[in-house]
Amino acid sequence: MTDAVLSPGADSVATGDTVPPAAPRVARPADQPAARRTAQPAPATRAGNFSLQRGLQALREEMDAPVAAFFSSCVHCGLCATACPFFVETGDPKYTPIYKLEPMRILWERELTLWGRLKAAVGLGKQVTDEMLAEWEPLLYDSCTMCGRCSMVCPVGNDIQYMIRKAREGQVASGHAPEGLIAASVRAVRTGSPMGLKWKTLDVQIKHVETATGLTVPIDQQGADYLVLLSSMEIINFPEYLEAITKIFAHAGVSWTLSEQCFEATNAGVQIGSKDIAATLVQRVVDAAERLDVKHVISPECGHAYTAIRWEGPNAIKRAYPFQVFHIIEVLDQLRAEGRIKTQGKETDRLSMHDPCNLARKSGVIQQQRDLMDLIADDFVDLKEHGRLQWCCGAGGGVSSNERAAALKMAAFKRKKAQIEAVEPDRMVTMCATCRTQLEEGLEELTMDIPVVGLTELIADHLVMPEPPPAAEEARS
Amino acid sequence: MASPHPESPAGRLAPPLRLQSKPLRQPQPEPSLGEILRRNGVSRRGFLKFCAATATLMALPPSMVPAIAAALETARRPSVIWLSFQECTGCTESLTRSVSPTVENLILDTISLDYHHTLQAAAGEAAEHAREEAMNANQGQYILVVDGSLPGPDANPGYSTIAGISNYEMLMDTVKGAAAVVAVGTCAAFGGLPKADPNPSGAVAVQDLVKDKPVINVSGCPPLPMVITGVLAQFLTFGKLPELDEYRRPLAFFGQAIHDRCYRRPFYDKGLFAESFDDKGAKAGWCLYRLGCKGPMAYNACATMKWNSGASWPIESGAPCLGCSEPNFWDAGGFYDALSVPPGRPGEALLTAGALGAALGAAAGALGRRKVKTAGLAHQAVTADQLEQQL
Repeated sequence: MTDAVLSPGADSVATGDTVPPAAPRVARPADQPAARRTAQPAPATRAGNFSLQRGLQALREEMDAPVAAFFSSCVHCGLCATACPFFVETGDPKYTPIYKLEPMRILWERELTLWGRLKAAVGLGKQVTDEMLAEWEPLLYDSCTMCGRCSMVCPVGNDIQYMIRKAREGQVASGHAPEGLIAASVRAVRTGSPMGLKWKTLDVQIKHVETATGLTVPIDQQGADYLVLLSSMEIINFPEYLEAITKIFAHAGVSWTLSEQCFEATNAGVQIGSKDIAATLVQRVVDAAERLDVKHVISPECGHAYTAIRWEGPNAIKRAYPFQVFHIIEVLDQLRAEGRIKTQGKETDRLSMHDPCNLARKSGVIQQQRDLMDLIADDFVDLKEHGRLQWCCGAGGGVSSNERAAALKMAAFKRKKAQIEAVEPDRMVTMCATCRTQLEEGLEELTMDIPVVGLTELIADHLVMPEPPPAAEEARS
Repeated sequence: MASPHPESPAGRLAPPLRLQSKPLRQPQPEPSLGEILRRNGVSRRGFLKFCAATATLMALPPSMVPAIAAALETARRPSVIWLSFQECTGCTESLTRSVSPTVENLILDTISLDYHHTLQAAAGEAAEHAREEAMNANQGQYILVVDGSLPGPDANPGYSTIAGISNYEMLMDTVKGAAAVVAVGTCAAFGGLPKADPNPSGAVAVQDLVKDKPVINVSGCPPLPMVITGVLAQFLTFGKLPELDEYRRPLAFFGQAIHDRCYRRPFYDKGLFAESFDDKGAKAGWCLYRLGCKGPMAYNACATMKWNSGASWPIESGAPCLGCSEPNFWDAGGFYDALSVPPGRPGEALLTAGALGAALGAAAGALGRRKVKTAGLAHQAVTADQLEQQL
């Protein structure tokens, strides 16, 4: 099973780290939501002091002016459903994006609207119950990657994924978050990595890279221009990424460094929907960057890590950064534009590209990756819907860490598969480790022989290297 | 038809018939209506024309004309007591003013108008005595005509009294022996001007007080004379009261909207409207809808019967219909506001409603904001320890 690479248990075995084993899970079909929890009356307070009251309080906290405006503005047109891969591929109306926010909407109507208050005063109107939050848990987590496609098509401009992110705060505080994400969040806070990796695992990879390239990977270089962050999935599954940036930065003469204090870019707090956990994890990056006094921080080939650090981060820690945040693709395109990347030869097979939602739709990084592809690809073809309105791979937003969602994740991937089939590429290129894993797994499961590569390593493969081995020999002699 | 036939005695007759005809009211033996009409020079032809017109107005088949004629010919003078309360005498003026003697006013003269304090020569005790005499002589038979509204039973009776008797007392006293009550004019029928906002005298309409006798409302400010005589003619002919609409007005005269019978209607249908009282449209006689004509909601016979012996009527003279035959027409918005303009003070109402809504919204918003802020202050941070306990 390719699933194994995602399982925290497997990772900890692979890396030898000690991770508290996750409690055995009861396999549950995604469309029978939370049967285990609704079977018995919900306890007033469950483990960890989570309760319905705390959940409702967290939801109230999240009701800002945009949320009130969005709920007031919804015209029930259903266009968001047609934009959602989970609805489109299952046809189940409960996967209509705005419906996933029903508990939050009911609370808003009951407590923050005039009519709702009047109705509540005479004992009318729906109330949010613990059972309801339990029922909505799979809708908010398993069937939503917070890809934001619904927000793009909404004719009245409702930012639905913004509200999903907020609704998850209530799920966490009421104790209705998926176990996979809870475990990932605990590991991220405890060990610094959602997969339980520690520095020594990365250190092994660094040694491999240095041996393979003959270059030095800078660590804790005070005053470097760029602090490079990684994602655990890259360290485990795609170590070629670290090798690629080591080569490219040496080639372009970029001053960069890793930080032993904080190497992890991903943010489980954003995925599970806890601003407290998110702030803790962002603070680590900020602390490391400030200690090393870097000018820029580079998010790796990971979608949510980029939006977490760049967009949500300053709001989470409630202050501005003394540095700038870029995605690696933005940095590479900047180097290309400055003429600091010299390439030779081109890929001759037919390449197509999957835009990560967090990068393209949510951050506007669309043209950069195409300009980079022009450097190294002869036969590049875009998917029909790409860039701003591309379709999500189906694994982001915490879905890939949530084992219960495995079947839905594969269902949503069918949309991507159809897109890929339409252009018949020989290989797919992407720039997000989660998307890449999902594409590899999905294509394998559907027995489509289409390898997936990361754009950074593709660039590294075509660098005109200034004869580093002779130079190294020279230095040695 | 309007011009008198040269041979018609009516055309040659001098007008001073009305009040001078009072001497005719020495009935010994009492002549029939037909005899009185002929004695006053109304030809058989003119009389039948009146009967035909009455039949037409009352929507009766032509075969009824002889019946009407026969009935009127032989009808005895009905006793009528006319009470005037809070009114301007316009209704009486309307009935008595005619440029030439007509069958209508002859009929009016013919009735035994036993009490009408505007018209009668007697005054004071003598006048009131005449009323009592008429009531006693025709107990249960006489027709009570009322013009003007009156202060209701709960209002200060001092607003209108006659010979020291309050209007309310006089009406209730007189109505006891009446066969039917005809409320003439919009004041008597619906309260009219006295009842208009703010109604200082507590005026009410006759039908608000009289519940045990048939009440017929002949509304209009003033009503058409023909309508009054038509109602009386029908009563004389058939011994019963005409069919009434929802406001107790005779359907025969109030069955159609002015708008539907208006000679300017074709302009309305073509969308040709006068926009001011002296523009091209006004001069060309276009529809007055936009100048506030209430024709579409006014039910009356002006458009077909006209005024002043058929000389003209308000719309023909270039004035928009005020809708004077409709209840509460004084309070139905500006006379010169088009019907599509809502009555009352919508601007103020809307402003008030808007201000109220904004205040409610702001209050609800402030409450909501407080709630959200309180929730934020009470925030319990989610920690890894807490999360771990769930695993």
